[in-house]
Amino acid sequence: MNPFREDLVSRSRPEPCSIVIFGATGDLTHRKLIPALYNLAVDGELPTGVKIIGFARREKSDAEFRAGLDELNRKVSRSGHDDEIWDSFIQTVSYHTSEFTDPDGYRRLAEKLDAIDAERGGKGNRLFYIASAPEFFDEILIALKNAGLNEAKPGCWARVIVEKPFGTDLATAKHLNQVVNDTFHESDTYRIDHYLGKETAQNLMVLRFANSIFEPLWNSKYISHIQITCAENLGMEGGRGGYYEKSGALRDMVQNHLLQLLSLVAMEPPTDLSADGVRDEKVKVIRSLRQWDTREKVAKNVVRAQYTAGHIDGTAVPGYRQEDRVSPTSETEAYVAVRLLIDTWRWSGVPFYIRMGKRLPKKSTEISVHFKDAPCVLFNALSGGVPGGNVLVIRIQPDEGISLRMVSKIPGTSLRLEPVKMDFHYSTSFGKGSPEAYERLLLDAIAGDATLFARRDEVEEAWKFIDHIERAWHESDSPPVMAEFVAGSWGPKEADELLQQDGNAWRRL
Amino acid sequence: MGTHGAGFEMGESTPYFLPKLSHMTAPLDSIPAICPELGIEVPVAIIERELHKLWEQDDATTNASLMNLVVYSEKAGALIENSAIIRELTREHACRAILVGIDRHEPEPTLRAWITAHCHLADGRKSVCCEQIAFHLTGRVTGRFRNTVFAHLNSDLPLIFWWQGELSEILTERLVSVIDRLVIDSSSWADPAASFTMIEEASQANPDLIIQDHAWTRSWQFRIGIASLFDDPIAQEALPEIHAVEITYHPAHRNTALQVLAWLAVQAGWKDAVTDAGWAFESSHGKAISLKLSEDASGPPLSSLVIRENRTSVQVTQKAGSSHVERQVETAGYKASSLSPIDPTSPADLVAIQLSRGGKNSLYQKMLPRFRGLLVK
Ligand SMILES: NC(=O)c1ccc[n+]([C@@H]2O[C@H](COP(=O)([O-])OP(=O)(O)OC[C@H]3O[C@@H](n4cnc5c(N)ncnc54)[C@H](OP(=O)(O)O)[C@@H]3O)[C@@H](O)[C@H]2O)c1
Repeated sequence: MNPFREDLVSRSRPEPCSIVIFGATGDLTHRKLIPALYNLAVDGELPTGVKIIGFARREKSDAEFRAGLDELNRKVSRSGHDDEIWDSFIQTVSYHTSEFTDPDGYRRLAEKLDAIDAERGGKGNRLFYIASAPEFFDEILIALKNAGLNEAKPGCWARVIVEKPFGTDLATAKHLNQVVNDTFHESDTYRIDHYLGKETAQNLMVLRFANSIFEPLWNSKYISHIQITCAENLGMEGGRGGYYEKSGALRDMVQNHLLQLLSLVAMEPPTDLSADGVRDEKVKVIRSLRQWDTREKVAKNVVRAQYTAGHIDGTAVPGYRQEDRVSPTSETEAYVAVRLLIDTWRWSGVPFYIRMGKRLPKKSTEISVHFKDAPCVLFNALSGGVPGGNVLVIRIQPDEGISLRMVSKIPGTSLRLEPVKMDFHYSTSFGKGSPEAYERLLLDAIAGDATLFARRDEVEEAWKFIDHIERAWHESDSPPVMAEFVAGSWGPKEADELLQQDGNAWRRL
Repeated sequence: MGTHGAGFEMGESTPYFLPKLSHMTAPLDSIPAICPELGIEVPVAIIERELHKLWEQDDATTNASLMNLVVYSEKAGALIENSAIIRELTREHACRAILVGIDRHEPEPTLRAWITAHCHLADGRKSVCCEQIAFHLTGRVTGRFRNTVFAHLNSDLPLIFWWQGELSEILTERLVSVIDRLVIDSSSWADPAASFTMIEEASQANPDLIIQDHAWTRSWQFRIGIASLFDDPIAQEALPEIHAVEITYHPAHRNTALQVLAWLAVQAGWKDAVTDAGWAFESSHGKAISLKLSEDASGPPLSSLVIRENRTSVQVTQKAGSSHVERQVETAGYKASSLSPIDPTSPADLVAIQLSRGGKNSLYQKMLPRFRGLLVK
């Protein structure tokens, strides 16, 4: 118990620890992890006594490693670059050269960590961040175990953060989970899903459960359907095609981020705000998804597509199959739309639609909750009728906020109705920007709060759902067609038809 | 930043279009009817109508407000200073600002009002504006003042009342009952013990009232620093054996030092004790804890807070002129330190930080009785 923490800030206790980053010369470390740790230091949130060790293959001195981090931090840091804080922060960062598979490298790492702990009377906490390509996850975990680094010293903790992608299907995810659980306790395992670190994602629970006006309406009686859209205007720039070809929109975004958002929108109120309290409810949603487990069901409920050459912001862009590092005969989807049903009392008969696509007209992620129309006996006879019903929109990026569409009377002597919008923008109302998702998530892992991380069962249930679709696409004799849309448009007509069968339409963003 | 839309100027307090103004009144004293900082003078009876016109002129702006912020001062010239503060504050805290300047010693009762909007570019594109009404009252004002302010609050939004300087009898029960958050600076009070009695009465009149004291906010980095250092098991182990607390503070900020001391004692469960050397604390299992309070007139409000145990010391320090505080934990053979930002010093920044933290400030309430005890020692 820390008596001075009481009431000061409401979070778990972040103790000093050594953070080892595997893949430390990589893009993620330079662009996200180190700037996030630095910004935590700027905010006074990083515990005094934290040590950061970068682990990668290339020969580098501490000074060279630090210089590279310095250069990028100046460019990307959210709060700018304060030389004095940076100088103090960077003193805690060092570099460790080793192959991921070299037992000697881990033995030397263990010695380094022991030396750090020795200064503190032999005690020390450890946080291992696996920020390598996924093919190394197993090897790193096994090597950590062989070196005894997975075991915490008495009174201390050893935790692991694993980056995405967490498996490529149910079998690989289960295998990886097995390796992780053989190495670290599940309660010490933190599977990153950076969408959960975003302010609006966290605000979803507050919006639903701290406002008494929404929850009574949050069910099949009042909600007609819910849409989750993740639109990107980028394509395969910067060599991304190589990675994307192996994954595709469904595995890259839907399995993790979008199903996580879905579970936050659809879950029952948790009994408490503990990590397991929240995750118990989230996993129930994924478990209750109706499975699209035949080719016919997939054909009826899922649309996959690739873009053909088109224009974005007036610039000509190539089709998916013409992109750099993409096969001209590629069968990888760059767009996917899924109709989902959740078989619970609350959501019976309410379709959820998820869409994710590259080269759509703009970058935008949002959740929209479409309420049923009011029984309009009163206004049906009006010329022009009653415009569409209430829509609650929760914008995740880029312009975080919430809006509510309502129907209103146009002023005047005649009775005409028009939709109006009440809009709340985080940036307008609260001025300063939200912290980066990685800041929140790193601090939570240091403090031992796993609420915003995916649990084993959540990941596996999500893969189970996704696997049926992947199998219908890639293993069936007559796979559902790969639809096409022109780059810069809002996706294929087949995706529109997916909603039309229920009498719905995609929200215009 | 350039001009945007019809009647607003970015980053400026902008009197709206002159030709649209009706009922201009002649200046009564030194503040002109058109004042660059306060805007344009309008008759009190039509303030809302004139404010409304501001928004009609320009579709490209968003009127944002999360709260009513009343800034009250009895100091001459405060209206203009406070308007400059509000311009800064509204960059991050959208509000309807109501500035009140009072001169109670003028024999003639008068009431004048100015309106303006503070506009800022959000994300470099959208113009977000906050309304400001400034009132200047003279003569006996108690009832007039209250009614004037109440009539111009944005409904449903919380009322933050920033009281500058010494408290006066204008802080009545009726007034306190509608305030959600009362912002004060107890270091500016000549007789803090007496003024805190008024604060206590205010809290009794409105049990939901949240008090935010600049003196308390000035110690935030020191308190969060100590709390964070005690997350370290090394410091935790030292906790039961602490035998000394040393605080160095600026003479003008004795309240801040005493509040920190009261907070430590309340949180750690230390009782008051008297020794030959003056006052001291005693831990819950009888360990004597000596106190040393030193003044440093050349330093910041707090320049150091050191907590000592036989082997271990935990300290937070801020050097004069430095833009950082240093946190440090030291024990046999081990020393770790880190830097964090300093607490703001300007009143505008202190208020901004208080507004962005929100909350009930319950720790302040918890520390207050102990602090008041220390004040009269
Ligand atoms: N980049 C992002 O923004 C981002 C976002 C979300 C998730 N992720 C995930 O984060 C992970 C890392 O991504 P990244 O973009 O940082 O990758 P990257 O730039 O390719 O970096 C790979 C890192 O792994 C090291 N490495 C590769 N093989 C090694 C070996 N055999 N032994 C030791 N070190 C080895 C490299 O070290 P050397 O340079 O010394 O060879 C380098 O530090 C991936 O799982 C990715 O999916 C990345």
